Amino acid sequence: MTIENVLLVSAVLFAIGIYGVVSRSSLITVIMSLELMFNGVVLAAVAFSRFTPSAALLSGEPVTAEAVRSALTGHAFAIFVISVAAAEAALAFALVFAMFRAGESIEITDASELKN
Amino acid sequence: MIEVSTLTTVAFWAASAMTLGFALIVVTQRDIFRAAIALAGSFLGVGILYFVLSAEFVGVVQILVYVGAISVLMAFAVMFVQDVTKGSRPVQGRLAGATAAVLILAALAFTAFNTDWSTLGEITDPVAVAALTEGYVEVGTGDDLTIRLEAGDVDPGEVVVQNRGVLVDSTGAVGVLLIREYVLAFEIIGLLLVASLIGGLLLMRNPGPGSEGAAEAAADADAEASGGEVSV
Repeated sequence: MTIENVLLVSAVLFAIGIYGVVSRSSLITVIMSLELMFNGVVLAAVAFSRFTPSAALLSGEPVTAEAVRSALTGHAFAIFVISVAAAEAALAFALVFAMFRAGESIEITDASELKN
Repeated sequence: MIEVSTLTTVAFWAASAMTLGFALIVVTQRDIFRAAIALAGSFLGVGILYFVLSAEFVGVVQILVYVGAISVLMAFAVMFVQDVTKGSRPVQGRLAGATAAVLILAALAFTAFNTDWSTLGEITDPVAVAALTEGYVEVGTGDDLTIRLEAGDVDPGEVVVQNRGVLVDSTGAVGVLLIREYVLAFEIIGLLLVASLIGGLLLMRNPGPGSEGAAEAAADADAEASGGEVSV
């Protein structure tokens, strides 16, 4: 398990998500694929946190507690991205429901009009 | 630095196979409900990957938020929308999507394997290495804390804070990071969640029969947005 392997897995997950976003007809599956892409990005952030040192630890200056904690910036980044993704998923599904109620369809080809 | 055991490597590849296999099912399955179940499996695989990467807190959050909440939201959406009986057909853009995915994957993989990533082994300061892997002690008064490996001689009135190595036991350090360095972003995330909650409620509100009711609902929404009183 090296950083290259983890980044490869996250890149494959991201690519699968892109394929799903472009190629599926149902809005729900498109949102699912978006979530896969989010997961790929967050996985890369955690991998960088685990395998590469933060600049503050390489500077050669006396180590502070802030510098030690900065090794976990990727984890904090992951928490924020997960929160934003959760908010996004809630709003996206509200939109799906609104669209289904307006036109009884969740095909993306029918979603060219969002107003009424 | 932290040595990677054979067991960790096996767990990594198993979790990767689980994640990518379920993800492929998500984007190829016509039955949307099966796609939702496969999506939960893929999320769980990513959660296991976080544990393998010794990011326990992120792993727990992943399982709580994704496997717990978002998967249930997906299942709810699938059952709510009867249109899913039509399934999720591939659309005309399938070839374009596959091409875009392969190209982006090639670019990302090329970058990943051709970049000289700096490694944790480049850290020369022994205090930093020990603080990352074994643990450290903060000694001092007030906000003026210095890092040591052993508590040693402590003046009366000085605070001693024991910490474990942040890379092997990350939970506590992530908590401190979130409420110190990133406290502003942390608060804004709370605001964002409230905003999305209100937005979701507005979108989901029953507009009533006919387009007239829908127009009224839109007017209500405008009134609410401008802070005016609303009579429903």
